[in-house]
Amino acid sequence: MSGVKDVNAVHPPAVEARFTVEVGVNGSHFKLESELALERGVLVLFGPSGAGKSLTLQALAGLVRPSRGTIRVHGQLLFDGERRLDVPAHKRAIGYVPQHHSLFPFCDVAENVAFGLPRAQRRRDNPEVRALLDELGLAHLASSRPASLSGGERQRVALARALAVRPRLLLLDEPFASIDQDGRVQLRKILRETLARRDTPAVFVTHDPAEALALGDSLVRFERGRSTVAGEPASLLRRGQPVIVSGELSGPPRPLGEGRAEVTLRDATVDAPAELLEQGETSGLRLELRTRPRDAKDPEKAS
Amino acid sequence: MSVDGFPIALSLKVAGIALGIVAPLGVALAWAQARRRVPLPGLVDALVLLPLVLPPSVVGFFLIVLFGRNGWLGGPLERQLGIRLVFTQSAAVIASCVVALPILVKTAQPAIEAVPRELEAVGRSLGLSPAALFFRVTLPSAWRGVVAGLVLAFARAVGEFGATLMFAGNIPGRTNTMPLEIFAAYQSGDDARALVYVVVLTGLSAAVVLLAARLSPREAIA
Repeated sequence: MSGVKDVNAVHPPAVEARFTVEVGVNGSHFKLESELALERGVLVLFGPSGAGKSLTLQALAGLVRPSRGTIRVHGQLLFDGERRLDVPAHKRAIGYVPQHHSLFPFCDVAENVAFGLPRAQRRRDNPEVRALLDELGLAHLASSRPASLSGGERQRVALARALAVRPRLLLLDEPFASIDQDGRVQLRKILRETLARRDTPAVFVTHDPAEALALGDSLVRFERGRSTVAGEPASLLRRGQPVIVSGELSGPPRPLGEGRAEVTLRDATVDAPAELLEQGETSGLRLELRTRPRDAKDPEKAS
Repeated sequence: MSVDGFPIALSLKVAGIALGIVAPLGVALAWAQARRRVPLPGLVDALVLLPLVLPPSVVGFFLIVLFGRNGWLGGPLERQLGIRLVFTQSAAVIASCVVALPILVKTAQPAIEAVPRELEAVGRSLGLSPAALFFRVTLPSAWRGVVAGLVLAFARAVGEFGATLMFAGNIPGRTNTMPLEIFAAYQSGDDARALVYVVVLTGLSAAVVLLAARLSPREAIA
């Protein structure tokens, strides 16, 4: 790099990556082909376990080394297989929140949050640390040990600690997977708000469609070691899923052409796989119906 | 009966110096083996473990071959620098090091292996250099196993007998550590004198066993 700024890249995408990772020796070999891009906001890596989501995250963090490809964050090249460029993990300024073992058990909450700060700022009364604890509702736990915290509290501490060093990208590997349903919904909200306040982009790994819908601005689906499709979470996750909707029509169907029509329902109830709909997000539901030639009112299928 | 305090002081001094040498080396080796950073891991592991299995007299013999007046290292040392190791306190220290190292490595290694990789990944993502990662994340996570290893290694160094006898000799007032003194006193029929050192060594070993046991239950990991 010559130091000349790319004039086109006023706001380079938060993440642009395309790489291959090969892990394992002899018997167990796993090859991952990953391609993803995120302008800003939250990118969800979605798919079953063993599909390569976590490994993708580790490659972005610099924890595993791809065999080829490139990784760019905010336009800066962090890995380039051909140029043999590989910025080490501790110089990437990329935050990481794992599902388990996320806190240092030998530090209390405040020490955990201040862990990544330079030595001089690693004091309990550091106003920045206090502000973060306040923001995430952890002020009363500042002197608690991780072992005495609930799962949700731990992940909030882990989030505060990652944000304390002002990362340019945050990676979250199923951080809420072992937390009960209510806690998970609450944590999603906290995460979304916290990231939005800072405009910090994030890559979030999950196999939970509700989580993907609630958090993702865009989504990449992973299957058997490949990133397959990318796009808007709603369109990717709802496609092909059976949904039964009942309710009173609030007006006549509005034809859309090509055998499709749009209706609006009053007091709609939606029967869908629970994970498809976030609780409390069914209001203002718009449905698109595929009409049959003889009976245009049969709401056989909603998409 | 007059008790000579010299063997007690000497034993503690020899073991203390040996521990000072073995601690950084052993912890580094334990880390390297735990993290698979050793070239030819099988060979290195075997070399570290060998003194644990070999008869002490064989270890002593090898030490003489290596550090003796005509040894591979001892010869040049004496000719070039005028340093003679055999039958000195330095020899006792070397003998203690060789037998203490495997115990430290083999106790610390599983503790380091048990440090969750996620914890180290988090440390790296927070900007910790490899050295800072070791001292601020790995070591604090594995400290129980590492301290247990140090305590056991110290006990082993204090108790070293066979290799010390061959390599450092049993020179009263110079290299007569407690184990050697027990043997010498018993040989000369002075059981009462032997008993003093037996009691001291037994007490020390009992303390070590208790301490090591207290260290073994691991703190819950969050």
